[in-house]
Amino acid sequence: MKDTMKITLPLVTIFVAAGIVMSGTYKYTYPVRYQAEKKEKEEALKEMAPDATDPIKPAGTWTINNKPYEFYRATASEQPVAYIASTAGKGYSSFIQMLVSLSPDMKIRDVKVLDLNETPGLGDQILEKSFLDQFKGKSLSQIVLVKGETKENIQAVSGATYSSRGVTNGVKDAVQLLVDKYGAGLKTAIQEVTK
Amino acid sequence: MSNNVSYWTLFKNGVFGENPVFRLALSLCPAVAVTSGVKNGFLMGVAVLFVMTMTNVTVSLLRNFINPKVRIPSYVFITATWVTVIDQVMSAYQRAVYKEMGLYIMLIVAFAIILSRAEMFASKNKLLPSFVDGVGMGAGFLLALMLLGVFREFLGKGSLWNIHILPVKPLLIMIMPTGGFFAMGLMMGWLNWIDRKFFGGAGGGGGGHH
Repeated sequence: MKDTMKITLPLVTIFVAAGIVMSGTYKYTYPVRYQAEKKEKEEALKEMAPDATDPIKPAGTWTINNKPYEFYRATASEQPVAYIASTAGKGYSSFIQMLVSLSPDMKIRDVKVLDLNETPGLGDQILEKSFLDQFKGKSLSQIVLVKGETKENIQAVSGATYSSRGVTNGVKDAVQLLVDKYGAGLKTAIQEVTK
Repeated sequence: MSNNVSYWTLFKNGVFGENPVFRLALSLCPAVAVTSGVKNGFLMGVAVLFVMTMTNVTVSLLRNFINPKVRIPSYVFITATWVTVIDQVMSAYQRAVYKEMGLYIMLIVAFAIILSRAEMFASKNKLLPSFVDGVGMGAGFLLALMLLGVFREFLGKGSLWNIHILPVKPLLIMIMPTGGFFAMGLMMGWLNWIDRKFFGGAGGGGGGHH
């Protein structure tokens, strides 16, 4: 019994002390981290629609792979300038997290990759501007991944086909969602004006 | 270790004589996994250097308090505590660095080299030697990872620290996991050869733990 106590007591003391150290660190770093993450998110959204003058607020959530993702309406003087959706696509070894923004005429303004865990040197070539810039100005029907040169569609990065497909699928889902949500409203608005 | 061994010798022992990767052949798993580029190797090395030093210091301070029968759980828990503290502090105050390093920090808990230094050295030595041993071993690990990183990134991608140097990729396989084993073996053999040829050493390496 005495032996057991000799072994248990120091161990328990260490565990409790470590627990106190860890929870103390959490208590003091959590607010700072929360603020930093919030600010980063706002800055990323702002980059997607630099011409938005009003604060960009979430307009709703949608789901990919059973996880919730948000979409946003960016406005300047209450007129919509961009629709933004956070989205994800399954790459080779990770879900590639992205932000996609559409102009009010439902063409892609910008695609930004937030997070990925693809093969270094191969899959992560999708981060290169030459690949991501292909999406700019494209509409829903044009977002098709092809191998080989193309102007109309999206050309896969050679050696990173799975990762390219992940990005393309994620973007396509996001554009589909935003067109469903806001595209119809846009058409009626144009029709009303032309009348 | 007795007091007449200078701290400099102790430090050098960690970097060269008992280099964690090339001599003790410990923690080869991360050494292969993250050295596809110099930058990754450097970041991982720095993280290990931190955790190793802190763990060594704590274990040395508590060496008379920890019951030998339950020393392993105690060491692992001390390591885990430091890893958590570093992870939390870094994610709050150093966002840019955390984005690059965050992935690696949590892995350090399971590194054989940290547990082995706690067991072999810090649990038997006073505070200052343990601190120096931690810094030396950490620096040795950092150096080894950077060497592997330079070798693999230059051959695999034709670049160093993500800056392109060669217009081609001479040996793409080097940045794949397979290439990691090639690089590790070649580097270990090469260093042993240098040791034998110029310093009269017997060579080392072998064993191996993940």
